[in-house]
Amino acid sequence: MKSVYIIGRDTLPQSISLGEGEQLSLTIVYASALEGAPAEADIPLTVSLDGRGASLDIAGLYICKGESRLRLKVDVRHNACGCTSRQLFKGLVADQAKAVFDGLVYVAHGAQKTSAAQESHAILLSAGAVAENRPQLEIYADDVECSHGATCGQLNDDELFYMRSRGIPEDEARRLQILSFLSPVLSRLPEDLAESIMK
Amino acid sequence: MNEVLLEIKDLHAGIEGKEILKGVNLTIRRGEIHAVMGPNGAGKSTLSAVLAGKPSYTVTSGSVTFAGKDLLAMSPEERAWAGLFLSFQYPVEIPGVSFTAFMKAALAAKRKAAGLPELSPAEFLRLLKEKMAFVQMKPEFIKREVGVGFSGGEKKRAEVFQMAMLEPVLSILDETDSGLDVDALRIVAEGVMNLHTEQTSAIVITHYQRLLDYIVPDVVHVLKDGVIVRTAGRELVAQIEEKGYEGIL
Ligand SMILES: Nc1ncnc2c1ncn2[C@@H]1O[C@H](COP(=O)(O)OP(=O)(O)O)[C@@H](O)[C@H]1O
Ligand SMILES: [Mg+2]
Repeated sequence: MKSVYIIGRDTLPQSISLGEGEQLSLTIVYASALEGAPAEADIPLTVSLDGRGASLDIAGLYICKGESRLRLKVDVRHNACGCTSRQLFKGLVADQAKAVFDGLVYVAHGAQKTSAAQESHAILLSAGAVAENRPQLEIYADDVECSHGATCGQLNDDELFYMRSRGIPEDEARRLQILSFLSPVLSRLPEDLAESIMK
Repeated sequence: MNEVLLEIKDLHAGIEGKEILKGVNLTIRRGEIHAVMGPNGAGKSTLSAVLAGKPSYTVTSGSVTFAGKDLLAMSPEERAWAGLFLSFQYPVEIPGVSFTAFMKAALAAKRKAAGLPELSPAEFLRLLKEKMAFVQMKPEFIKREVGVGFSGGEKKRAEVFQMAMLEPVLSILDETDSGLDVDALRIVAEGVMNLHTEQTSAIVITHYQRLLDYIVPDVVHVLKDGVIVRTAGRELVAQIEEKGYEGIL
C-alpha cells in the first residue's frame, strides 16, 4: 500500500483489514486548490484491526477553500486483542468551504488490551467557513485505553499580536501559525508535496 | 534638551466598550527613562498594549506621535519597524514555532523595512549567540518553541533578549521585573541599561524600587484609574515605597 494518498490523484481503498501483527501507516491529503482535487469529496474509509497486535497510524490533512466540501468518514474497528490505533486529523477551512470529520472508534466485545487515540482539529479562517467534528466511541470491551480530542477554533489572536509586535508582518505571522498547526501532519509528507500544499 | 520621541495627548482608550485610559498625557524625549507606577488595574498594561497597537483595544480620542509620525495610524508591525518594543507583562507562548524561526522572521522583516539586506545564516547565528550571552540565556532556549516550557523568569529574560536583537528606539518594559530573582533582575536590568543610549528612551512599568535602583528613571509617573495623577523626579520612587500610592497623592 502507498503511505500517502492525495484525494483526486490517488484512489484510497474504502476498506482495509489488518491481520495479526500487521502495521499500517498512512496519510490522507485533501487540498481543494491542488490540481485535480474535486470541489466536493466524500471520503469513507474503514480500517479493521482483525488480527492480534495489529497497529494503525493514520493522519489526515485538509485545506478547504472557496466553496469546497469535504466529508471524511473514518471508522476504525478494533476486532482483535492488543491492537493499537493512532489517528490525527488537522484541517484548515477558509472562505465558504465546509469540512466534516466523522470518526468512529469501535472496540468489539472481547477486544481487550486495545489502545486507541483519535485527534481531530480544525481551524476556521473566515466567518463563512464551517467545520464539524463528530468523534464517536463505541466500546464493548473493558480493558481498553481510549482517548479522543476534537477542537474547532480560530488562529490565536494573542500569538498573532505577539509576532506582529516583533515586526513580523500579519500575513507571515498567520503563515507561521498555520505551519505550526499543520506541522505534525505536514512532516509526514514528501517535501515538495508539503510545499505545494502550503502555497 | 533632546528632541521629543513620544508624545501622548489626552489619550482615551478602552476594551470591549469599557473606557480604561481616561485622558493620558505623556511626553518623552530621546535619552530619557520614564517610570510608570500605579496600583493594579490602573491601566498600565492597557497603555502598553495601546502603544504597541493591540487590535482588541479601541482608541476613542487623543493622539500619539512617535518620532514625528502618527503612531495610532500604524500597524503593530510598522510600529516595531519604527523602533517601538514592548516587553510583555505576560509573554505569549507559541507552540510549534521555534524561537529561532520567530527571531529570524522578526529581524528579517525589520531589516527589510529599513532597506537593509537579510543577514546570512552565519551572521544571524553569530548575532543570536552574542545577544543570548548578553542576557545570560542558556543556548538551548533557542532550540525550543517560543515561550513553551520557559519559567516565568526565563520568559522575561527572553523578552530582553528580543529587545537586544531588535535594538529599539523606545522600549516599554511592562513589569519585566516580576518573577525574577535578585540575580536575574540584575542581569535583565543591566542588559536594559547597556542598550540604553542618548538616542533611545524607555518606559519602565513596575511596582518596585529594586528595578529602579538599576534602571534609574529621569521622570516618575503615577497612573491611577486611567490618568496620570502625579509626575515627579526619581525621588518619588522612595516616597512610594515608603508611603504607598495613597500616601503620596
Ligand atoms: N480584556 C478586558 N476586558 C475588560 N476589561 C479589561 C480587560 N483587560 C483589562 N481590563 C480592565 O482594565 C483595567 C486596567 O487593566 P490593566 O491595564 O491590565 O492594569 P494594570 O496593568 O495597571 O494592572 C482593569 O480594571 C482591568 O480589569
Ligand atoms: Mg499590568
